[in-house]
Amino acid sequence: MAEFVFCFIALCTCVFAFLTVTARDIFHCAVWLAFCLLSVSGIYFYLDAEFVGVIQVLVYIGGIITLFIFAIKLTAHIDDKTIKQTNKQILPAALGAAVFFVLLFKIIGSNPWAKIQPDAPVVSLKQLGLSLMTSYALPFEFISLLLLAAMVGAIVIGKVKR
Amino acid sequence: MIPLGFFVALSAVLFCLGIYGVLVRRNVVGILISIELILNAANINLVAFNKYLGTPDGMGQIFALFVVAIAAAASVVGLVLVIAIYRNGKSIFADDYNLMKW
Repeated sequence: MAEFVFCFIALCTCVFAFLTVTARDIFHCAVWLAFCLLSVSGIYFYLDAEFVGVIQVLVYIGGIITLFIFAIKLTAHIDDKTIKQTNKQILPAALGAAVFFVLLFKIIGSNPWAKIQPDAPVVSLKQLGLSLMTSYALPFEFISLLLLAAMVGAIVIGKVKR
Repeated sequence: MIPLGFFVALSAVLFCLGIYGVLVRRNVVGILISIELILNAANINLVAFNKYLGTPDGMGQIFALFVVAIAAAASVVGLVLVIAIYRNGKSIFADDYNLMKW
């Protein structure tokens, strides 16, 4: 049963990711990305990482997808079917990505992967918060600084100059 | 139990699709969307290794959270740049951008 659930979620993720990169309309592309991210959060729930899954839905689907849709609607909405959405390097790009994927798959297949350790502890939310505030306090502060810099930079760049 | 290799393979699929999207898309917003796919591939690996190799303090999950925050910051700045360039140059296609080329 658990294997079936994983296979279903993984298949959904791959199909939605494929539709994201191949959809012609950029708005459809953003919507497929939302579905893909929802499937990825399903993977996180499957791996007992509830907090990361919830944050994925909140930040990505609640925040970033909304931002993408705003950006798409503020720039030109191209309905014209004659305008190409892909550039000239589609064939070498597809070939390169496929070759890279086959290479990765060979390496993954030949590696003896660790079985799950019998006493591998499920990281609780309390433990996550504790280590975020103790062992990883410095990166946490740097992330907050980065977010502040991104916010100020976005306002400065996006401001209309009169 | 699913072997760890399946999660790594899933993340490889997402990564390669993202690379393809970055290389092929003309629309800059499409390129940014593909970059989000690549970052999610990295996140799946972090969470899966955290579960299977069992770090007691949840290091993998915490770094996955950091990656989400950095992805948010990156896409905010990227989209604002796209909107600013669009306002000046009236194009959202990456192959029309030659402002900083010499």
